[in-house]
Amino acid sequence: MNLEFVNSYLLIITLTSLLVNSIIAIYGIFYRPHYIKKVIALTILSDTMNTFAIYLGYRRWIDNVNPRPPVLTTPPTDEALDSFIRQAVDPLPQALVLTAVVIGLAVTLFLVFQGYILYTHYKTLDMREIKKLKG
Amino acid sequence: MIYMYPETIVYLIMAVSSILSVVAVYLAIMERDLVRAVLYSAIQSGLYTILYYFLMAPDIVLVYLPVAVGLIPGVLLILISKTERVEKE
Repeated sequence: MNLEFVNSYLLIITLTSLLVNSIIAIYGIFYRPHYIKKVIALTILSDTMNTFAIYLGYRRWIDNVNPRPPVLTTPPTDEALDSFIRQAVDPLPQALVLTAVVIGLAVTLFLVFQGYILYTHYKTLDMREIKKLKG
Repeated sequence: MIYMYPETIVYLIMAVSSILSVVAVYLAIMERDLVRAVLYSAIQSGLYTILYYFLMAPDIVLVYLPVAVGLIPGVLLILISKTERVEKE
């Protein structure tokens, strides 16, 4: 039984869901009035973009063989390297995403402290009211 | 039946978890109570972790799970406890 169509359909569902997630997150960043809600939407957007980056390095199954994580666990003989090249996914997006997750954590912490300073200064975190207030 | 189509099963799990993550993201953005919004975003992070695992990135899972389910919601909950909890109309 050939399930190639079903497999492609399921992957398209996954990608479309990620696209919808990023659209909802952009809506949250620009149109939700509260500061903390904007921070939550920003983390969701960065996670979704990271998932897109990892999906770029993914490869489909070849002859019902699972793609491997890009980790070489045996000594690098010729046979081990050959099967590694045929089966492993791309390690470069994973390395970049690993960095991006940590940088995103730092940016979120900075925004959290910025929000605390905003609250001590303006006594509110609603962006519509902060926009109206002066000084 | 399950052992015959492992590829389809893996892609089915990925599709289901991504659809559930759409629901979690929608609830997180539209929820007025910020504590519940943070919890919904933690649920979204857990579903993304399943996605990363099946996209063959176990090292990302090891880093992303404590950061996005533990640290960021914790820090946001501390910020909410020091400021205000409800998003006004």
